[in-house]
Amino acid sequence: MKTLVSACVLTVAMALPAWSATVTNKDSEAAVLVVVEGESRMEVAISAGGTETICPSGCFITTPSGDRIGLQGDETIEIVNGSAVVK
Amino acid sequence: MMSKFFAAFLCLSMFAASVPVMAQQPAVKAAPQPVAEVASPQAQAAEQLEAARKNLARLTDQIKNAKDDDGRLAELKVEVDAAAKQIIATSVATRPRLDEIKARLAELGDPPAEGAPPEADVVAQERKRLLAERGEINALTGTAEDLSIQATKLSNGITATRRALFSNALLKHTDINGSIVMDAMAALTLELRASTRTVGSWLTFAWNFKRLQLLSALFLSLCAALVLLAGTRKLFFPLIHRELLSEEPGYITRLSVAFWSTMVPTAAMAVFAATSYFFLQAFKVLRPDIAPLISITLAVCVALLFVSTLSNAVLAPKQSVWRLVRVSDGGARLLALSIFAMAVVNGLDYLAGTVSEVMGSPVVLTVVKSLIATIIIGIILMAMSLIKPIVPAGDTLDGQGKPWPRAVSLLFVFSGIVLILAALSGYVGLARFIATQIVMTGAILVTMYIGMLTGKAVAKQNALADTIVGRYLEKRFGLEQVALDQTGLAAGLGIYVLVVLFFIPLILLQWGFQIADIEAWAYRIFTDINIGSIKISIVGILAGILLFAGGYVVTRWFQRWLDGNVMARSRVDTGVRNSVKTGIGYLGIGLAGLIGISAAGFDLSNLALVAGALSLGVGFGLQNIVSNFVSGLILLVERPFKVGDWVVTGTTEGFVKRISVRATEIETFQRQTIMVPNSLFINASVGNWTHKNKLGRSDIPVTVSYDSAPRQVMDTLLQIAAAHPLVLKNPEPQAVFTAFGEATMTFELRVYLADIVNGNGVRNDLRLAIYERFKDEGLGAPFPKEVLEPEPLPPGPQADALAQQAEAAGPGGVASPAEETFKRSGTQRRPRRVTVDAVGDD
Repeated sequence: MKTLVSACVLTVAMALPAWSATVTNKDSEAAVLVVVEGESRMEVAISAGGTETICPSGCFITTPSGDRIGLQGDETIEIVNGSAVVK
Repeated sequence: MMSKFFAAFLCLSMFAASVPVMAQQPAVKAAPQPVAEVASPQAQAAEQLEAARKNLARLTDQIKNAKDDDGRLAELKVEVDAAAKQIIATSVATRPRLDEIKARLAELGDPPAEGAPPEADVVAQERKRLLAERGEINALTGTAEDLSIQATKLSNGITATRRALFSNALLKHTDINGSIVMDAMAALTLELRASTRTVGSWLTFAWNFKRLQLLSALFLSLCAALVLLAGTRKLFFPLIHRELLSEEPGYITRLSVAFWSTMVPTAAMAVFAATSYFFLQAFKVLRPDIAPLISITLAVCVALLFVSTLSNAVLAPKQSVWRLVRVSDGGARLLALSIFAMAVVNGLDYLAGTVSEVMGSPVVLTVVKSLIATIIIGIILMAMSLIKPIVPAGDTLDGQGKPWPRAVSLLFVFSGIVLILAALSGYVGLARFIATQIVMTGAILVTMYIGMLTGKAVAKQNALADTIVGRYLEKRFGLEQVALDQTGLAAGLGIYVLVVLFFIPLILLQWGFQIADIEAWAYRIFTDINIGSIKISIVGILAGILLFAGGYVVTRWFQRWLDGNVMARSRVDTGVRNSVKTGIGYLGIGLAGLIGISAAGFDLSNLALVAGALSLGVGFGLQNIVSNFVSGLILLVERPFKVGDWVVTGTTEGFVKRISVRATEIETFQRQTIMVPNSLFINASVGNWTHKNKLGRSDIPVTVSYDSAPRQVMDTLLQIAAAHPLVLKNPEPQAVFTAFGEATMTFELRVYLADIVNGNGVRNDLRLAIYERFKDEGLGAPFPKEVLEPEPLPPGPQADALAQQAEAAGPGGVASPAEETFKRSGTQRRPRRVTVDAVGDD
């Protein structure tokens, strides 16, 4: 019974959604994103292969390719060839 | 856990009212959708952004206009935050188009390098067009970005303004000197004249031109209040009535009477105030200059009633048996009086402040009025330290009391001095705030505390049964002890929820928070709680649970309907019926679970990971459970036995009662219930006496001496078998000469029965008949002469019982001693073998 309960808890815990945008850099060089969150405009550098968690409550980012995209705050983003792929 | 759930549920139902307001915004946004379908996503987004820009400009204006109005600012902040969210949503909507463009551009490839052959004109043009569109979208997103920054700035600006407003109100310093007092005096005469004129003119106007409306508004609100008062009095009578008792009532009774006798009249008064204001407003009797006066008067009345009923409830100056705190009669009277006086002074201060505001009197007047009010409150506080309310243990309450303990009286003096000093040194706002906190927040906290105590006391085991309410419920509805206890628990939890939901917002309002703030918080608490990077929505989880419960109920209902109406009438085999029913049950609950989980906001795609983790778990700990579960499913499909069958597996034998997920319930002949794991039925061989039909063979061994004629014995046995009504004619009974013993011959009578479950009874009848016929016909005893050595039984009650039984039964019983044990111990090794002996030996 204990096993069953712990399995259920584990299931629920794993199924809980992660709720801030996660950016993964798939390129071989570091990517610099301009993140506008709230009042501030800041630059976030993500090293090659690195992952960063940004803006839990919605923001705008400018990718190295020059595209601007708005994020709700629950997306998973990959940087491929300097441009963002939202999953 | 339970109380939390209740709290959540109640909050949900309370704030359900505010949800539609918020739900309106998307609806408004969705309205222009059909028109916009023709327009490109960019045009649509541009339109929305333009609307957002206008909205922000409007909000900025409104914020400028309302920079002194804290309540309005709080509402505006909610709007600004919603606008910021809307802006982000707008730009998110352009993302798919951008992705499409990027994908198409990637397909087209880079423009040809210098010197390379030029590409087709179509391609170049398309690339140009796509790039232009990409630029357009980026520009749009840039605009959205700017707007979003602007909205956030606006929102933060509001917060800063509100903070400044609050500290200004509290820490505003005015020099107090003689000239100010003189100015105030002069202003006071003017204000008095102005207010008399205003109120008088309004009254004349209302009486002459709006008489009907005025009277009907008052009449309607009085009706509402009376209905409420009469209803609550009838409903809560035992809770709020203080009987004249000679002896002290129970603690819970006193607590709950104190709590409810404060709450009920205050609520009635609040309803009266709210409805009369509403009706006066609705009938257009109020004028803009009179409305604030009326509203503050009504509010002060409610607050006064609250404080005075509370002090009366706690101190009960006239009925010492109902007093909650142990103070002397004189002390209680003086305390109640001074608390009431403080409340009156504080209320008048607010009333006078509003009058000055409405009449546009100089600020000094308000300052001087508040100064006087706070000084009076300070003096009352200091005077309270002189009251002698303490009653030494053992003394009666009507005697002369002792003074306060030193710490308490020092506290009174100290707070009085602080109030007066703060007011005199010019911090009138602060002093007034502290005075209000002492009176109102103090009263609210005391009520809350009493409410909590009541809840706790009512929730105690069997506490409710001893109270007036408990006795009333018992008499009126005939509730049992257990039901009363459960009612008490529910009532206790309900009181907790009520206290928390009602008083915490009240205290927050006292501290200068606005209703819009509290609503926004509550909304956020129920829709998204952020823990680290995880967002939890209580409403979502509750919705998930509700959906699951709904799905469960529907499944059960469908199961019952299918089983009772469809399958019962189409004469489906019970085994199939059971299987279908159980299968539908699993399916329905699984579906309801899935729906519930997705409604609760859990991401099922993450379950892939969980499945990986689980498969490891299955490998180790869950192996048995899963194997039993799967075996259960196989049992349902293959149906080697159904409910009601007589089965034998391993050491277990009996009737199948229920086939469930993990195990099958078997009831032995002695009514012992055994849970057999389903995998046992799949992995081991299972015997089923009643699989296809209930036909079965039952054997009775008979031993006679060599004096008898074997043919005659066999004929007699067959005659006996044929005479029994339950023995089948076809297949016909057989009598077989099975063995030569040293002194006896062994025969066996084999009979077929339509229902093998009756085997025991039939064998018993046959043995009796055999004994009687053999004795009559002198065939010799149908059993060996020498006493058989019984098989060694393990010593214990069973062996003893067997011996006794054998003794009591006499010679007849010895025919097959083992047969007797069969009846008693279906699960023992011996009887099972006997069954095999008796039936299966061929």
